[in-house]
Amino acid sequence: MKVNTNSNVYIIIYSVVMVVIVAVLLALAAESLKPLQSENILNEKKTQIVKALGETASYEEVVAEAALIDADGKLVDTVTKNVFAALQNVKGSRANGLFPIFKAKNGCVVVPLSGDGLWGPIWGYVALEKDMNTIKGIVLDHKGETPGLGAEIANDNHQKQYKGKTIFKGKKFMGITLVKDGVKSDSKNIAHEVDAISGGTMTSDGVTNMIKNSLESYKSYFEANKAEVEAVVNEPVTTEAEGAEDEKSNDKNTENNGK
Amino acid sequence: MASKSLKNLTAPLSGNNPVIVQILGICSALAVTVKLKPAIVMGLSVMVVTAFANLVMSLLRKGVPSRIRIIVQLVVIAALVILVDQVLKAYVYDVSKQLSVYVGLIITNCIVMGRVEAFALQNKPWDSFLDGIGNGAGYGLILVIVAFFRELLGSGTLFDYEIIPKDWLIKNGGVYSNCSLMLNPAMALIIVGCIIWVHRSFNKDLQEK
Repeated sequence: MKVNTNSNVYIIIYSVVMVVIVAVLLALAAESLKPLQSENILNEKKTQIVKALGETASYEEVVAEAALIDADGKLVDTVTKNVFAALQNVKGSRANGLFPIFKAKNGCVVVPLSGDGLWGPIWGYVALEKDMNTIKGIVLDHKGETPGLGAEIANDNHQKQYKGKTIFKGKKFMGITLVKDGVKSDSKNIAHEVDAISGGTMTSDGVTNMIKNSLESYKSYFEANKAEVEAVVNEPVTTEAEGAEDEKSNDKNTENNGK
Repeated sequence: MASKSLKNLTAPLSGNNPVIVQILGICSALAVTVKLKPAIVMGLSVMVVTAFANLVMSLLRKGVPSRIRIIVQLVVIAALVILVDQVLKAYVYDVSKQLSVYVGLIITNCIVMGRVEAFALQNKPWDSFLDGIGNGAGYGLILVIVAFFRELLGSGTLFDYEIIPKDWLIKNGGVYSNCSLMLNPAMALIIVGCIIWVHRSFNKDLQEK
């Protein structure tokens, strides 16, 4: 029997059958490879957490505890699995009042960041020193910011700037602001500012907002645990002393500028 | 028969190379050749896609309605590319991150569609399969040559293994400096140009009169 391959009926049946077969194939492949893929993604998150802490050892060696806290800074659940489930969708769990946090063995904490850049989602991890104020390190990543402009947030040279900056000014939560045209040396908030990416203003604003929004939810936790550190440790630890010195010198700067 | 089949495999490596003779697929050749590893993975991925796209289209060639044949080709190629992407994400995640959008862009690589349209629709499955492997390999070969020079001269490494000692660098007190221009896509185009020049000077029949 000779089939007319150009009749409308044949073309419609042909395309329907083809699409169904392809759809089934792709669905099967996606489902069967999913466990391996999500494991890879999880590993990448762990590597970024370790990188934010400035360590090179494995995640298990560096991080002591992964936990979820609520808006009041109370521990919700310490089952690791749930923390990573929340990490899959940081924004969603933030809306539900659940905030993942990672405590390192040396007392630092790592907080995941999540926000919007110019073209798509941006995310990252910020590690804070024991004083819950000074930034130890930061890792920023993005889905599709403009290469050479906004995408530079993922560059080490940009991320180095955050080190040693503080997120609180006295009691007031400041976050970190990315400043267009670079940080002025006479700025009052120099301890809370880094240079923005030139040509990447929208992405830089996105990072500023991301850091503010993400860290603000942890405010009560930071305050509670900061107090704890101060209460327990009477003798000043070196990192704290350095932080205090920084603050002092900054105050001096601002005073001088006032004159 | 055997020698004819073999010719399908070997011709695209040199005399009928898709990149330097047919000048196809230049865009991705610029993008993924900064380091050798992604270049090799990209070459292999394109090889798999061209080979199986050719095979599938050649098997389907008698039943494909000619009025929607381009759409059918696109569906077949897109499905294969998504498969490759999924496999890369599952087994070589870091490489798949480096290749990022370029895996998806295999769909638009003109070599794939060009070979399906020009060869697979008129030839038997086995010949088409070999033609696909040959063209993928010809493309991969150029990618590897370009990536070799770019990684060696641009980063001083091969497969991330240090070739040029760090002590030679000016910042470490030496006299050598890596050419960061090599890391820019423009240099890939210039290297491709040099390869075409060398290739044509050995293959007189390719020279335009």
